[in-house]
Amino acid sequence: MAQTENPSRDRILGRIHAGLRTVIPEPAATRSDRIIFEPINDPLKRFQQECVANLMECTLTGDCAASAGQLSKVLQSLPDGEAFLQDHPSLRRLIELAVPERAVRWSTQGSPAEASQATITLAEALIAQTGSILVTASCGGRGASVIAPCHIVYATAAQLVPDLASALGRLSQQRSLDRNSFACVISGSSRTADIEKILVQGAHGPRRLVVILQTGGY
Amino acid sequence: MSTTAAQRFLRDAAEKSADLVHRDLIRRGMESYDAAHLAGRARIKDWEAARQKCQEIKREAINHLDRYLLQFEEKVIARGGHVFWAADSEEACTYVKNLATRLGVRTVVKSKSMVTEEIHLSPALEKVGIKVWETDFGEYIVQLRDEPPYHIVTPAMHLNRGQIAKLFREKVDPKIDSDDPAYLMGAARRKLRQAFFAAEMGISGANFLVADAGVIAISTNEGNGRLCTSVPRIHVVVTGIEKVIPRLEDLAVLWPVLATSGTGQGITTYSTLIGGPRQPGEVDGPEEFHVVLVDNGRSQLLADPEQREVLHCIRCGACLNICPVFRHVGGHTYGTTYPGPIGSVLTPHLAGIKEFKHLSYASSLCGACTSVCPVKIDLHHHLLQNRRNATEAGATKSSERLMFRAWRSIMLHPRMYALGGWSMRNALRIIYGLGLAGSILDPMRVWNRHRSPVPLPSESFRARWRKGLGAN
Amino acid sequence: MEQKVSLFVPCFVDQLLPEVAVDTVKVLRRIGYAVDFPEDQTCCGQPAFNTGYWNEARPCAEHFVQAFKHADVIVCPSGSCATMVRTFYPALLTTSSLREDAIAVASRTFELSEFLVKVAAVTQVGASFPHSVTYHASCHGLRELHLRDEPLQLLREVDGLKLIEMARSEECCGFGGTFAAKFADISAAMGNSKAESVAATGAEFVTAIDPSCLLHLQGILGKRHAAARTIHLASILARDGAAQERP
Repeated sequence: MAQTENPSRDRILGRIHAGLRTVIPEPAATRSDRIIFEPINDPLKRFQQECVANLMECTLTGDCAASAGQLSKVLQSLPDGEAFLQDHPSLRRLIELAVPERAVRWSTQGSPAEASQATITLAEALIAQTGSILVTASCGGRGASVIAPCHIVYATAAQLVPDLASALGRLSQQRSLDRNSFACVISGSSRTADIEKILVQGAHGPRRLVVILQTGGY
Repeated sequence: MSTTAAQRFLRDAAEKSADLVHRDLIRRGMESYDAAHLAGRARIKDWEAARQKCQEIKREAINHLDRYLLQFEEKVIARGGHVFWAADSEEACTYVKNLATRLGVRTVVKSKSMVTEEIHLSPALEKVGIKVWETDFGEYIVQLRDEPPYHIVTPAMHLNRGQIAKLFREKVDPKIDSDDPAYLMGAARRKLRQAFFAAEMGISGANFLVADAGVIAISTNEGNGRLCTSVPRIHVVVTGIEKVIPRLEDLAVLWPVLATSGTGQGITTYSTLIGGPRQPGEVDGPEEFHVVLVDNGRSQLLADPEQREVLHCIRCGACLNICPVFRHVGGHTYGTTYPGPIGSVLTPHLAGIKEFKHLSYASSLCGACTSVCPVKIDLHHHLLQNRRNATEAGATKSSERLMFRAWRSIMLHPRMYALGGWSMRNALRIIYGLGLAGSILDPMRVWNRHRSPVPLPSESFRARWRKGLGAN
Repeated sequence: MEQKVSLFVPCFVDQLLPEVAVDTVKVLRRIGYAVDFPEDQTCCGQPAFNTGYWNEARPCAEHFVQAFKHADVIVCPSGSCATMVRTFYPALLTTSSLREDAIAVASRTFELSEFLVKVAAVTQVGASFPHSVTYHASCHGLRELHLRDEPLQLLREVDGLKLIEMARSEECCGFGGTFAAKFADISAAMGNSKAESVAATGAEFVTAIDPSCLLHLQGILGKRHAAARTIHLASILARDGAAQERP
């Protein structure tokens, strides 16, 4: 790919280099072992607590059939309109069991339609500390977690990690960002407090973020 | 004759200081933030350790800025992205403008970026016929009002719901008949959704540039930043060069600290990482990805050993929120892209000390800003340094310089000082006795405008000491 | 042998609020310290320093250091002036021939409540002040000298004193030295907000460790014809119920 013409690049780097020649004596390294975040003993419990605080819906299910039942229930509560799904064997199986009474579009067919009522994806991980789901472009693309008013995540308890440090560590170790141009830590439904600091749920992104958390494996 | 920035500031500050309705609205907003912020801090086991860690991360990043910027650039380019280094506002705007016109862009959707305000990007694009939609709800509101953001995190906090409803009725939809915040957000959502799906280009800022992963990090709550960077076929990031951090793992503490200091949340709803255009095999995403790295005076600040740490700022807004001056004059009075303590410290470096030194003086140096800064920037002491820099650059009034020279002479001679004090007290007594308090003859007339006169004792302490108090 | 302290009296206290220094002497003597007053002192240099005129402040600082060179302990009834010496003198005089003396003087300078609680190790100073009082946490003492509890510890031991907490007690009163002259409207607005907080407590008095805050508030309260009056911490601590003085 042709490189951009960058007339000031060297000049700026030169200025930075010159500026940094002024060495500022750094104070003694305070590499302390002070614990910044309270260690998490029960990640599942913490995740559920954070979901409540984040105005997310999290339902525990035992197996695929129960998860499908939960998915049905959520879909039935939504207005008519297409559902978009990440094309993955687990979701193919799930939707077969759930039998949605609506049109379904798979990620292999393209991005979600603007008028979609729901998107259904997997996640890369669940983060207990902040009640978050971690998605990447591999989870049905970028639009999958933001275009529809309801985003449903089908996850397993094995995907739960305690904190941001472990989630980000995993992204680094697996070099996920070499293969994915996008990742996102999502911690709730979209919201704003721009009017008089009053919290409004459902701004430009989904108003509902639903996590179907299956305690058994897929 | 046009007014200077300092004159405009004094005029606006006088008006806003007297506006108690404004004061009470801002106080309510800030106290709501205070409560949320304290609750947020309680979620972090050791807040001081968190601040310490964030300071260390930013210090490492800034002290090796060239290395980390190059690492970031290499990875972005490897994914097919473009990186453009802009020396100043003009270069940055020209690049984006040329890109947009070359690619036939007619509509742009923008998520919040203070740097784009700094470089005046929107007017540059509008001048060549491109329609720019601010999509952050608060930014959208102030764009409709044709005014700058009031605050770097909550741009419309100076408006109440009634004003916003009226604005929407006039500019968005004449059928608007409620001032309920959810209803108004719904109206904005419908309007802006059309823009998201029609725009050819999305412009965002970046909260962080992660060097080892070669990704930008954007923290938003509304999802507008997500849509700007997912739907349009071109994504342009405009960011200051100082936003770099060394490692992805640094976000484990920076994200919670940014959210806590910014809004009191544990983490912002969408903490997004983007490293390039859509990759082969990805479902969607922009075809082109451009990162514009803006210098605009930052590399100069880097060379200042005293104030280099000002580049650590993560733009959380906490210093604005706690500042009593901000709470009394509001964000617009500053007349700069960045208001509040960080703005007062930074603006002379980005835009000139002569024109903006007054901001460093418009502070009581209470130090509240420094006490809340999550990256431990010594803000109020930097204001003091800016004052010293202003006098040393000869940028202060000569009458003031002369006055302090005279003051110094007096203070070096105890008898002159004692005589001076005695004379001043007696002169004031005569002036007040003649009913001339507040007149042009009253050296304390500025004081007396808003306060009852200072006490005028008949004897100084040292006189009493000499007269016998000194005997133990 | 009686312990001795040297009194650092801020210039504006010397000229406009001498009773604050007189009361400081009274308190120190009552708890058993001899007090001396180096008469060569004038001003610590803060006005010039804060306005950015460090070249004018420097000679004043050197003059101060000379005046107090032989003091064992220096006590000052002002958080901002004690801060000037302790926090800023070492940096301000870093190239001066008096650099070592400055560092020594700085390390021996204390604000009054700090001295009483942390050096003399007393909180009960035999004071009696049967009135309602609210406390304004002056900025320098709070954020530069890190004195949050010390003044309150002293106030709680004063016989008959009813301490009422005010909202936003840590918000700046708006004086800020030359800020009050250069940005008079903002300074007054901040002062009026503080006066409202004081009034909301219903307290008869507002106290602080910084006489500059109190001078500013006295003026603001006076203009508002407010019921509350200002009184320095030293003046509260000096009242011992013996002489029936009107505060």
